Amino acid sequence: MTDGNFLIQAHQLTRIYPMGRTDVIGINRLDLEIAPGELVVIKGNSGSGKSTLLSLLAGLDRPTGGGLTVAGVDLAAATESLLTRYRRSVIGMVFQNFNLLPTLTVMENACLPALLAGTAYEQVAGKAVDLLRWLGLEHRKDHLPSQLSGGELQRTAIARALINQPQIILADEPTGNLDSRNGKAVVELLAGLNRDRQRTVIIATHSNLADPHATCMIHLKDGEIAGRA
Amino acid sequence: MRPIALFFRLFVWFSWRHFMKHRVRALIVVAGIALGASVFTSVRLSVHASLNSFTKSIDLITGRSDAVLSLPGGRVPEDLLPAVLQQPEVSHASALMTTYVKAAGDEMEPFLLIGFDPLSDRPFRDWEAQRGTAGSDSPWLGLMADPFTVLLSEPLARRHGWQAGDNLTLAHDRDHAIFRVLGILKPEGLGLAEGGRVALTDVATFQEFSGLHGVVDRIDLKLTAAVSPVSLEELGRQWADLLPEGLQITSPSEAGESGRSMIRAYQLNLSILSFASLFVGMFLVYSLVALNAASRRHELAVMRATGASPGLVFALFLTEGVLLGAGGWLAAIPLSGLLVSYMLRGVSQTISTLFVRVHVDTVFLQPWEVLLSFGVTLLISLLAAVQPAREAMLVEAGEALTTARLQRSRKDSAGKMAGVSLALIGAAVPLSRLPAVAGIPLAGYVAILSLFVGFAMLAPWGLQRFGATVSPMLNRLAGVPATLAGRYVRDSGTRTAISVGALITAVSLFTALVIMVHSFRETVQLWVHQTVSGDLFVAGKLSAVNHFRDPAPERLRKGLLRLTASVEPVRSRRFGLKTGNFDYELDLLDLGSFLRHGRFVWVDGNPKALQSRLIDGEGVLISEVFANRTGLEVGDRYVAQVEHFAVELPVLGIVRDYRTRGGVVFYDRAAFTMRYADPSWSTVRLFFRQRPEDFDAALTALRREIIDRCGSHLEMVAGEELRAAILRIFDETFTVTFVLLLIALSIAALGITTTLAVQVLERLPQFNTMIAVGAAVEQVRSMVFWEALLLITAGEIAGLMCGFLLSYLLIYVVNVQSFGWSFIYSVNWKALAASLPLIVGTALLAALPAIRLIFRQPPAILLRDR
Repeated sequence: MTDGNFLIQAHQLTRIYPMGRTDVIGINRLDLEIAPGELVVIKGNSGSGKSTLLSLLAGLDRPTGGGLTVAGVDLAAATESLLTRYRRSVIGMVFQNFNLLPTLTVMENACLPALLAGTAYEQVAGKAVDLLRWLGLEHRKDHLPSQLSGGELQRTAIARALINQPQIILADEPTGNLDSRNGKAVVELLAGLNRDRQRTVIIATHSNLADPHATCMIHLKDGEIAGRA
Repeated sequence: MRPIALFFRLFVWFSWRHFMKHRVRALIVVAGIALGASVFTSVRLSVHASLNSFTKSIDLITGRSDAVLSLPGGRVPEDLLPAVLQQPEVSHASALMTTYVKAAGDEMEPFLLIGFDPLSDRPFRDWEAQRGTAGSDSPWLGLMADPFTVLLSEPLARRHGWQAGDNLTLAHDRDHAIFRVLGILKPEGLGLAEGGRVALTDVATFQEFSGLHGVVDRIDLKLTAAVSPVSLEELGRQWADLLPEGLQITSPSEAGESGRSMIRAYQLNLSILSFASLFVGMFLVYSLVALNAASRRHELAVMRATGASPGLVFALFLTEGVLLGAGGWLAAIPLSGLLVSYMLRGVSQTISTLFVRVHVDTVFLQPWEVLLSFGVTLLISLLAAVQPAREAMLVEAGEALTTARLQRSRKDSAGKMAGVSLALIGAAVPLSRLPAVAGIPLAGYVAILSLFVGFAMLAPWGLQRFGATVSPMLNRLAGVPATLAGRYVRDSGTRTAISVGALITAVSLFTALVIMVHSFRETVQLWVHQTVSGDLFVAGKLSAVNHFRDPAPERLRKGLLRLTASVEPVRSRRFGLKTGNFDYELDLLDLGSFLRHGRFVWVDGNPKALQSRLIDGEGVLISEVFANRTGLEVGDRYVAQVEHFAVELPVLGIVRDYRTRGGVVFYDRAAFTMRYADPSWSTVRLFFRQRPEDFDAALTALRREIIDRCGSHLEMVAGEELRAAILRIFDETFTVTFVLLLIALSIAALGITTTLAVQVLERLPQFNTMIAVGAAVEQVRSMVFWEALLLITAGEIAGLMCGFLLSYLLIYVVNVQSFGWSFIYSVNWKALAASLPLIVGTALLAALPAIRLIFRQPPAILLRDR
């Protein structure tokens, strides 16, 4: 836990992408504080900075200015190996296009982050089966991603995100490639994680499916917070 | 253990399954590596077998002697034996004589006849006759008691169907005689010398048969004290009063050292050449691992995003390379088995022709050679995978969300690589000037590697420039598909370009070898026609196989004195000598007569100014090989012990000579007779003073006249036949080289197939988009065809440039440092002009499978998949 009991603290957070002779601003002098157990929905148009913010929070990218501390880790100053450990233990990431590895089965995809963190397969397998059962995927555990529906793919990605019991779940447009029924189911799952398992969940999305579950809504425009509710 | 198990679990999940999914690509790469590894292994095993056979034969004949008493270029007086035996330092001594003989029937292969005293030789050499074949339990007694009896080695007897009790007519250079087969040797000890092509007889019989009464080739000694080179020198000083002038005491280990070092040099050169196949295979590994890294970039980003460290990603891709190498090596085992039987024949024939006589029937699997081939294959596969693995490692986790920065980094790396490659190409120049290390042209090989790697790394930048240059021209010449192809070549990136490196390497090797072999052949041809001139060559029977060491038989010498006046003889006597560990020949010939009809091919010295000085015997000419081996230059003094004479003469010039047994020193025979003694002569070449109108008839008449005057126990060969035979042997010695080259080119063709197929598969969505916007299927195929043509053409141009530089290194650095000879640089434009389009054609054929891949499935299905 960080100062003031905030899990995430961003101060003047900035991310600028140099593109040839011009700079493109991803995030501009953003101040943000998120407490543990919140379900934050980040909204905004394309190019507003949602994915950039999520990348920074996930330790997939580094700020070009300002400070960002998540779960006590200073992400602006962290070394590459610290970022790797951070991604393994603090963050669980859910992507819009699922990003499952095509050569791994559902079970193997779910286990992957734990194995990368050094846990033995035998130890992690039971936990992965429990997660898959909870997500209704136990009968699909030996299937490859190419044999799954969109909803099943995203639930597998959620299982993968949860395997290391991270404090924070980051979801980048988790319903973007799903029909409304599957989209709703995925949002329910994420909300359930926040409600029943006290995970901090941050969802970047265009859709309104997650709005009823949000404890905090942030509207981004041109890399800045345009509104907060 | 857990991290290792975890790593392999991830490897199976991530890499192995990907290989399995695209197994055809993986199998092509494995096949390429297998070809390279099998060539490397079979060449090394074959040369090793020859080296082993030679060493074993020398060791078996040397036996357990501690020292050898010999006379350089001559023979040792037999009466020295009892005197030596009386010396307190000597415990045993044994006289030995050897010569190659032939059984009646010209089709029979010559074999070695060893003459020794069976009684005094027992402490030195092991041999035993097969029970029941020698007539008594003590065959050594039989050899001594019955003159003109021999013991035959088992393979020799089996090959010719000879048995104990048979009578054989054996011919030597002066005479022939009937021998009775006393028994058959067991396949052990001396019975295995010369690959089992050997016969033993008593030394007295040998002398009687050869006419060499009172002398022996050498006396082997067993000493009472431990021996060192220093103690042998000391012994020589102590025995100064005992030993006649010129006699030397040497270590038996020196015997064959020259032959061994020549075979080793040949092995090294052939290994390097065969390594080129592996090197070309390296590009295949690079190509596939780089493809995997590029096409799975997004997966890598996800891996990284889910917690994989860069080190883990690096290790996964490195292991892919190792796996391809290990797979290739395993597949090479049966391939090597097939190749080695061919190589064994070709390699041993070449070694026998060029260096020393070897007999190899079987090849033994050497654990060290197996380990070396495994290690080299794995190492090059590992090295090939390093760069793609590094690129994979550098994939950022953030790319799971975006792929924006990929294109820029590629262009940057092409520019950087061009700088490094130019530095590598430039480095070849100073490297080529460094001297050899222990007779091995190490810096020359590094320069060659530097050229190969430099040109391969120049490919990305070269393709960018090439594509940019030809694109506008192609638009006017061949329309939109060709223009798009030009653009693709321009933007194809490092991975495609490095794959073109395989073609560059193979073409440069081809170009360099074509130039080198042509230069070598042209120079040898010049040498053959100028220096090996003469209309008829005459020598005693088997004189050539015994290196003309003995004077010609008296009947031949006297008979030739009375020959018709229409021919002019050039007589010659050759002495086999040694300087350091290096064997060479002193050729004493009638220089006056020779220079009227023939010429030397000069490297250093003024032929016109030196002619009279040479004829007057003011100095010697040395061959380029001799000069390079000894470091002697024009003006230095040549010093040698020739039989009982200490010869010291100035070096007047350096000439080319490609005689098979190392270097040569030429001196006038008449001058030698005046200064030292009449060396007699062992061979004569005859020149018609004026070319007869009917040359063939005149030659036939001359042959008949020689037989009438000198008898038929001689060898005659027409000059034209001899020169044609030398050139035929020359061509045969390069058969192995060209087989290796063809294999390297085949592997490069596999590289073209893989690269283009991969490019097509990767870009199917792009092709479908082209179809969607109105392109015809044929236009897309035409585009891919043009891409292939442009890539292959660029590879050929770069390969040609690299090849010319490489040929310079081969001719003026590697050959000079390995074998001591260089050649007159000469480019075979005809062969290059004819074969390079053929390579383009073959490479385009290799591209056909890729072109066929396009739209094997209906575009609609592919678009739906997309």
